[in-house]
Amino acid sequence: MFLLSKFKIRGHSMEPLFKDGEKALASFIPYLISKPKVKDVVIFKVKGKYFVKRVRDIKNGKYFVEGDNKKDSLDSKNLGKISNQEIVAKVIYKL
Amino acid sequence: MNILIYQISKLLPENKAHAHCDIPCGIYDPHMAQMAAHTVLRMTQLLTQIKGESLESQHTIARVTDVKEEHGELVEDELGTLENDYFKEEHFENFPKLKELISKAVKLSITTRQNIDENSAKDLVESVLQISEIFFKTKGATPVRVKSVYPTEGEIVTHK
Repeated sequence: MFLLSKFKIRGHSMEPLFKDGEKALASFIPYLISKPKVKDVVIFKVKGKYFVKRVRDIKNGKYFVEGDNKKDSLDSKNLGKISNQEIVAKVIYKL
Repeated sequence: MNILIYQISKLLPENKAHAHCDIPCGIYDPHMAQMAAHTVLRMTQLLTQIKGESLESQHTIARVTDVKEEHGELVEDELGTLENDYFKEEHFENFPKLKELISKAVKLSITTRQNIDENSAKDLVESVLQISEIFFKTKGATPVRVKSVYPTEGEIVTHK
């Protein structure tokens, strides 16, 4: 979990919001108040790696996440649905 | 407000968040990392050769430094792709030096950006060549070193 952290985005799946190499500020503080919602852009950790995707759907406490650039994105079909514990921050600002 | 956020962000450590294309294309190649490392070396050599303090010299220094910076970052990015997307646990087990080599090369890519240091740039090229040799071995190919056609006159790694 990150109170406030900076992330360099690697890859193209969040275009046009984030191009490869652009940076974002992310924080867990919003999720101390409420749970992640549909349309949130979240940072989550799977197998030791951080990913950035957008929440598309929430069912039974599991989060289906997907890149904005759908023709170029790994989604929850590949990653598996994300649990609340795996979400480490909400993207709050594009640098 | 934007300036304040930007100033705060400069104080924060940087993490990487993956938003890869992640279509498992399987196309990986250490060639770009090698070219970028040779470019860092070449730009370092050019910086040591620029004479005088004229406006033209300062302009050339700025341009060459910019290219050195850009290719230092490219080395880091290309190695990051190999490390995160291609190399698997079994590769790190079969080649125990691989993790250390990648870490060394990334550090050298930073050192060569921070300084005008030809020895570090040569070490960077050598580290990237050794990583490339391991890459080709993991592909079941036999790596070979050949003389590059670059002005650096160093070698590049390809395969049989």
